[in-house]
Amino acid sequence: MTRTFVLTNHKGGVGKSTSATTIALGIAGVLRRAGASNSRVLLIDTDSQGHATLVTTGRNDFGAEDSLYAVLSADRPNAAQVLSECIVQSTWDPDLHVLPASPMLEGAERELMRVAGAPYRLADPLSRIANHYAAIVIDTRPSFSLMTEMGLIAATDAIVPVEPRYLETVGLMSVMSKINDIREGWRHPNLRISGILVTKMDSRIRGHNHLLDELKGHSVLGKLLIGVIPANEAVSYAHHNHLSVFNYDPKAPASRAYAQLVGTLVRRMAKGGA
Amino acid sequence: MPPKNNSRRMDELLASVTEDLLEGNPQQFEDNSIRVERILLEMVRPDPVQPRRVLPEQLHLAFHSSRLTPTQALKELVHLVQVAARQRGRPFNNVLELLPNPDDDSGDEQDAKLSPEEQLLRDLVNLAVTIRDDGQVNPLTVVDVSEGVMRQFRIETGERRYWATWLLRDFIPSYDGDGMIPCIIIPAERSSVFRQAKENTARSGLSAIAMARQAALLLLTVHGYQIPDAAVPNDFYRQALELDLRGKREYTEAVLSAMGGIKKTHFSAIKSLLRLSDEAMELADRHNIEEFKLRHVVAVSVEYHAEIVRQIVDFNLTSKQVKELCQGDGLNDEDNEPLEKLPPAAVKMAKVTHSVTTTSPQDFVLALIQQEGDPAIALARLQAMRKLVLEAERLLGGE
Repeated sequence: MTRTFVLTNHKGGVGKSTSATTIALGIAGVLRRAGASNSRVLLIDTDSQGHATLVTTGRNDFGAEDSLYAVLSADRPNAAQVLSECIVQSTWDPDLHVLPASPMLEGAERELMRVAGAPYRLADPLSRIANHYAAIVIDTRPSFSLMTEMGLIAATDAIVPVEPRYLETVGLMSVMSKINDIREGWRHPNLRISGILVTKMDSRIRGHNHLLDELKGHSVLGKLLIGVIPANEAVSYAHHNHLSVFNYDPKAPASRAYAQLVGTLVRRMAKGGA
Repeated sequence: MPPKNNSRRMDELLASVTEDLLEGNPQQFEDNSIRVERILLEMVRPDPVQPRRVLPEQLHLAFHSSRLTPTQALKELVHLVQVAARQRGRPFNNVLELLPNPDDDSGDEQDAKLSPEEQLLRDLVNLAVTIRDDGQVNPLTVVDVSEGVMRQFRIETGERRYWATWLLRDFIPSYDGDGMIPCIIIPAERSSVFRQAKENTARSGLSAIAMARQAALLLLTVHGYQIPDAAVPNDFYRQALELDLRGKREYTEAVLSAMGGIKKTHFSAIKSLLRLSDEAMELADRHNIEEFKLRHVVAVSVEYHAEIVRQIVDFNLTSKQVKELCQGDGLNDEDNEPLEKLPPAAVKMAKVTHSVTTTSPQDFVLALIQQEGDPAIALARLQAMRKLVLEAERLLGGE
């Protein structure tokens, strides 16, 4: 079964798109170097802002016919075929494929609201092509919208990126409870919280260190911590140049932290564990 | 800040992660096993150069040149069969009506009269109903020919099951599948024309023409020709007529074994069927005419190939009859004996019928003019001959 990672948090600017794109690229690269027979990774951008699409493909002009919007509005029997036709190759790596977002996704939520089975509009077609990929990574929008729900229903592993700030960590519990709601409410036992990813960590700020320590000491959340990504200028410069941070500056602390995270995720994929 | 884009250093970073991962078990991610997966039907395509054809030639070419989708190709086939069936007085609206009625005792009698297209569609419907009722028990064998983001699988064996599944999906009511088909996936580097040939020749029902195409593919491969991944005309296969196994001794055994363990002489005989005209090849393939009948046809002038093959089909001629039809001087003394009692002119005329397949109309006209010295008289002679032939035909029909 192909592992499908969804990066979700209803708070914006926590590094969902950066983490999703970097993880996707990293998994493809590591699997290829490890000699895996299949090292293709599919990145799905469900955020109508299309930031993940822009940086990985260099384009932001996807529309009704060639983006996730086309998949969501296709007839059910044709949706998988439409999905496979909408996938494009990333400029970052030939093994990284992207299902692009489009600004039209904003309207798609309203259009699909009254359609029966709308939350499964991504999971159903995705399940038919998932076995062609070693892993799938889904980037979600910063809200608990229908689109985010679709991403969670299509996923097997939820990763919650969070900034080490007080209000962010307070909101963390509501994200976790939303994921649990999806698992129970939609009878989706395969969905698990795979980890909490602390992003933009600045060890010079006392508050950040304090909150990270609290998180580590928490009986439940502490066990879920899978990585700490330091705040790093290289990330924003990489975005500006439509490059991954791995490519932009492989020696940057953020690159090393993401590489470590990718290693953890690939190890879990190989073992089939959570 | 200018980009520090450095792919070598990125490689080093990810390589260090990979090294940690592989520690103690360097092969843990390598998987060379043959996989069985359920694949979206649209991602699977039949092999355009597969010698064993399922669709009639015209549809085969239109489909492989992307002028028809699978559904459209089947629609054309159904239409073709509907026309043929209507002409034979058994029209149908739903393909399920093609299946034999178990309560009808005269079924066997009707089977014999089915055209190849009717038989094909009926077989596909039968297979589709089996898949609907019992599921796809036997997976297709496909080769992973994906390029870039395009996931694509080429069928190595199981094209009939592929078309039956499309038929089930689009033409048979109450289909409740998910549009997927189970497939054994062979990596592209493990696929070979020898493997395909063995699969083909191991099954019954491979027509002589399909065998000839198969022989051509093997010869072209061992001689280093590039096998295209699109539909090819018969002239592509005919290139093999110039080739043989003499210069490729190291492949001789493999080729003959892939062709079902046949002898070299039989291989040459099969290969020479590629000399047949396009129309004759199509007819012979559709009607599954045997090699021992077709070998005589190859000897006559190419413009008569189709006509002779049509006669083989229409009159179900034996190999001996085909041989006599194809040889201008086929009568021996024994056969001549009863004719000697007939008027010599009639015997002469009867002998002339053996030469029609080896004479071109142009040569005949020239000879006639030379003999009569005047085109008008030559025409009159021909008209008189036609009258005689028509009368003889009427008498034969009455007999």
